[in-house]
Amino acid sequence: MVRRLARPAPQPGLHRLRPGHPLPGGHRHLAVPDRLRRPLDCDLSKAQEGSQPGHPFGFNGQGCDVYTRTVYGARASIQVGVFATLGVALLGSVLGGLAGFFGGAWDGFLSRITDIFFAIPVVLGGLVLLSVVTSATVWPVIGFMVLLGWPQIARIARGSVITAKQNDYVQAARALGASNSRMLLRHITPNAVAPVIVVATIALGTYIALEATLSYLGVGLKPPTVSWGIDISSASQYIRNAPHMLLWPAGALAITVLAFIMLGDAVRDALDPKLR
Amino acid sequence: MLLEVRDLHVEFHTRDGVAKAVNGVNYSVDAGETLAVLGESGSGKSVTAQAVMGILDIPPGRISGGEILFQGQDLLTLKEDERRKIRGAKMAMIFQDALSSLNPVLSVGEQLGEMFVVHRGMSKKDSRAKAVELMDRVRIPAAKERVGQYPHQFSGGMRQRIMIAMALALEPELIIADEPTTALDVTVQAQVMDLLAELQRELNMGLILITHDLGVVADVADKIAVMYAGKIVEQAPVHEIYKAPAHPYTRGLLDSIPRLDQKGQALYAIKGLPPNLLAIPPGCSFNPRCPLAQDLCRTDEPPLYDVTESPVPRTSACHFWKECLHG
Repeated sequence: MVRRLARPAPQPGLHRLRPGHPLPGGHRHLAVPDRLRRPLDCDLSKAQEGSQPGHPFGFNGQGCDVYTRTVYGARASIQVGVFATLGVALLGSVLGGLAGFFGGAWDGFLSRITDIFFAIPVVLGGLVLLSVVTSATVWPVIGFMVLLGWPQIARIARGSVITAKQNDYVQAARALGASNSRMLLRHITPNAVAPVIVVATIALGTYIALEATLSYLGVGLKPPTVSWGIDISSASQYIRNAPHMLLWPAGALAITVLAFIMLGDAVRDALDPKLR
Repeated sequence: MLLEVRDLHVEFHTRDGVAKAVNGVNYSVDAGETLAVLGESGSGKSVTAQAVMGILDIPPGRISGGEILFQGQDLLTLKEDERRKIRGAKMAMIFQDALSSLNPVLSVGEQLGEMFVVHRGMSKKDSRAKAVELMDRVRIPAAKERVGQYPHQFSGGMRQRIMIAMALALEPELIIADEPTTALDVTVQAQVMDLLAELQRELNMGLILITHDLGVVADVADKIAVMYAGKIVEQAPVHEIYKAPAHPYTRGLLDSIPRLDQKGQALYAIKGLPPNLLAIPPGCSFNPRCPLAQDLCRTDEPPLYDVTESPVPRTSACHFWKECLHG
């Protein structure tokens, strides 16, 4: 999937700058002008040149158009961020929530497992685990983030389920004949989900940044995949001579992370009827 | 007999030891009858009710003995799934604090309707109509408009009415009300109690009213059970107890009510604190605080004596009930 996205087939007659616009073909493509279409079509003679007509963001160290690469980079970076967050939030809240609700031996076992995962250093773990992966897709990186990220959400979910479980209305629901699954899904989950959403949306930005870190170390995404992380790390060594190469992908990253955090706030507000 | 609790023992296993919260409680309620269970905080009145409902947290709680007969059937021998079907449908509970007992993220209509969805398998749409009907029944004005509102949009009294409506939804045979008016102001207290009493008469339900408010009890209860340190120390028809208590603890409680004819005098208070449930004193558990205590009380635990001088059946767990009665 990623390879196809990185080298999209030419789309004749599409010359407007409308990133992310879904095409009638059913595939989601970034529509960019023909001359910008291939992020790896580069001209070394223009390396590190600044903004000029047709190339508003300038060129990078390989003479590739920075605008094109920033637009294409959104795909891999947001894919990593969104899927890693979804995986972490689902796995973490299901395991943590069940542990908090049922307690006992299962809770103790899960808490020790989370301790073990917390003890694994992320960067070192990434160097070891991802160095054996040869795939150039985003999935190994996402899988690694889910593997190391779920304990964080599991702890929060466990805590907020335990808090919600002690509320009188859960006891009241039980006194009126509600079953375990009904109490958990209808009475506890809506009251326990807010902290998970907030932490998950903040974590989303961290995952995009972590992808950049891993790519910088050579174990994250690999060329020819285009991502903000790859571009930020390759531009960081030219920061004195050509700061524009760093500025654009880093700015895109910052704005995206901010947008997801604001999304998280909005979702939490929407779920809380007291604010309606 | 609708409900009969026989020699119930409940204990809690804590880090510091075993806390004996309920130590051999016996009481019974008939259809249409109101039993008031009276006692201080920590006397075991709520724990007994939770054991009857089957909502005790186990562990740390444990029912270490006794029987709970509901319509002749021992609830403690039933499977959890069978008990769940009884809860809400045949016996229901009203909690003290209606705001925290209602789920803040569900509308009151959804919560009222849930009773019908869970126990009757009704559709969401039908259950909403039933919810409106119930809200009308507990006299919530503009029920049709308010059914979609959330608990925080209602006043305290209205919320307690919604709790009552939830408990009454399936017309259970037994209602346990755990301090239903404690969180309300005095005028609303009277309205809520009147409503509860009226609905009880209408549906001929048994009512167990758990309270520490002697004023609430006098109007609505048929009989009173006074609990202390996990035991019933006195049980009697309501008017007998107010006339002449047969246990020094009951006497102490009655003397602690402020009265108009004692204006300007210091208010009586029972000296000391309720016993630590981890170390209940030997003999009569009330002996360290009792003005009538003698050596016998410190060594021998009093059985429940029949108060033979009374025209109606009543019992007292005091060696010196005669002295107290004529006190």
